[in-house]
Amino acid sequence: MKGELKKLYTEIIKAHNDAPFHFRKIGDAPHTIKAYNPICGDRFEIFVDSSSTKINALHFHGFGCAISKASTSVLTRSMEGKSLEEALELCNNFLDFINKEIQPETSILSDDFLAFSGVHDFSERYDCATLSWREMKKFLESRQPKHEN
Amino acid sequence: MALSLKSIKSHFPIFTHRPELIYLDNAATSQKPRSVIQTITDFYEKENANVHRGLYELSADATQRYEGVRKKICNLMGASIPDTIAFTKGATESINIVAQGFLKKNLHKGDNVVVSAMEHHANLIPWQQVCKQTGSSLEIIPVDDRGELVLEAMHNLLNNRTKLVAVTHISNVLGTINPIEEIISLAHKKNIPVLVDAAQSVGHYPLSVERMNLDFLVFSAHKMFGPLGTGVLYCNEKFTRQVDPFIYGGGSIKNVEFTHTEFLDYPYNLEAGTPNIAGVIGLGAAIDFIHQLDLNETTNHTSNLRNYFKERLRSSGNFKFVGNPENSGSIVSFNADNIHPHDVASFLAHEHIAVRAGHHCAQPLLESMGVPATVRASFSIYNTRDDVDKTIEALVELKKFWS
Repeated sequence: MKGELKKLYTEIIKAHNDAPFHFRKIGDAPHTIKAYNPICGDRFEIFVDSSSTKINALHFHGFGCAISKASTSVLTRSMEGKSLEEALELCNNFLDFINKEIQPETSILSDDFLAFSGVHDFSERYDCATLSWREMKKFLESRQPKHEN
Repeated sequence: MALSLKSIKSHFPIFTHRPELIYLDNAATSQKPRSVIQTITDFYEKENANVHRGLYELSADATQRYEGVRKKICNLMGASIPDTIAFTKGATESINIVAQGFLKKNLHKGDNVVVSAMEHHANLIPWQQVCKQTGSSLEIIPVDDRGELVLEAMHNLLNNRTKLVAVTHISNVLGTINPIEEIISLAHKKNIPVLVDAAQSVGHYPLSVERMNLDFLVFSAHKMFGPLGTGVLYCNEKFTRQVDPFIYGGGSIKNVEFTHTEFLDYPYNLEAGTPNIAGVIGLGAAIDFIHQLDLNETTNHTSNLRNYFKERLRSSGNFKFVGNPENSGSIVSFNADNIHPHDVASFLAHEHIAVRAGHHCAQPLLESMGVPATVRASFSIYNTRDDVDKTIEALVELKKFWS
């Protein structure tokens, strides 16, 4: 039993949960994204400082389980300094990985992403892992320049 | 003769199929006894027909059984008039009917509705919305640190603009058993009707709507060993003529013209469309099952389990109860220090222990108590001391895992 749970609560997830990246409120952030899960009561706010092309700084604050808190921490750490396009690609990669559309051995996945492999065996925790990423994706999509098809 | 609690588990097929299951989420929904499942299967296999429609035997029998359940409900909760009982989808729908079909037309700008801070969203949002729709205000009876209602505050909230008091009998989060008789008497002194949400109590705790002089009472079948999708609204006879339909359609009418409809009297005016006949008959079977139990014995059993669980949890260290009411049902909410309730529930799930984690559809209550979420264990007749022991062992393991 413990073995399976250790695969879910990896050392990386535990470390992010204990010491999340940029975990504080930013009162005057240009954008605040709400990542709320009404089913379990998880509530995060992600504070975005971005230009029209780049994410300058990301912070977050709130309350959630170890999986959702760690995944939000990984989100803020992996996206800070990235272009909006790169950030959206990260979002898609992470969500595709959790939804099993990208195989873990693929080199585009960082160790921080791979730490969430265990979620594949705990389908009831998908929402925890993807909560902030889904909201971030919506935000980024709304800010992408429109391409002609 | 009452069914023996020692062998009660054998009446619930889920435990034969899942012998390892420790089910402590009874406040969400109870498991179903074989007799209820069999009654529903038999209905579909041998007796299926629509009610109030056919002139053939099958339909007449279905109608008779369906209508017969109103009497069974009356027996269960001390009512004497079967036509005070309306069948609904569940407690939530019952409350919405009272909010929209009864209260709304009496509610004007400047009026108020009083609810408690410990209400389930089902007994909060319908009142909040009807207040918004009419320019009335929603007033909240506060809850203290122990998880008990502050009744002194209620005295001040009731005034001549109060049109209804809605309060839960037993809190689905804290387990608090509220002094509803006192609340009813306070409200009635000012001629204010009272609705009681009895979702956590009907079938488990003695209730008598007539002796308690209740105006409205709601519950769901599925929390009292009955099927999902069926519930009840009890309306005191003095208000039945004031409850208008909440949904419209066939089966609820006396006469229909293209421009006008005359509705049947309560409760039939509320039961438009083909009702959940099998569900209602299943609810009847659940009441038959409850009648085979000794209610004193079962409440003693679940109270003992709750006390034993609290006692063992207290001595296991670093767990905090959320609410600790003096008069309590078989529900315990707690938190494991710095471990999120969701992570606690995941851990327990791996030991086949089913508990609930989250805000339990009572977000404002938890916010007012300064807790975003809790772990909730709720006990029923088939739980045992062994279930408690295994849960405590798992919680001790959990602490080690996270340390």
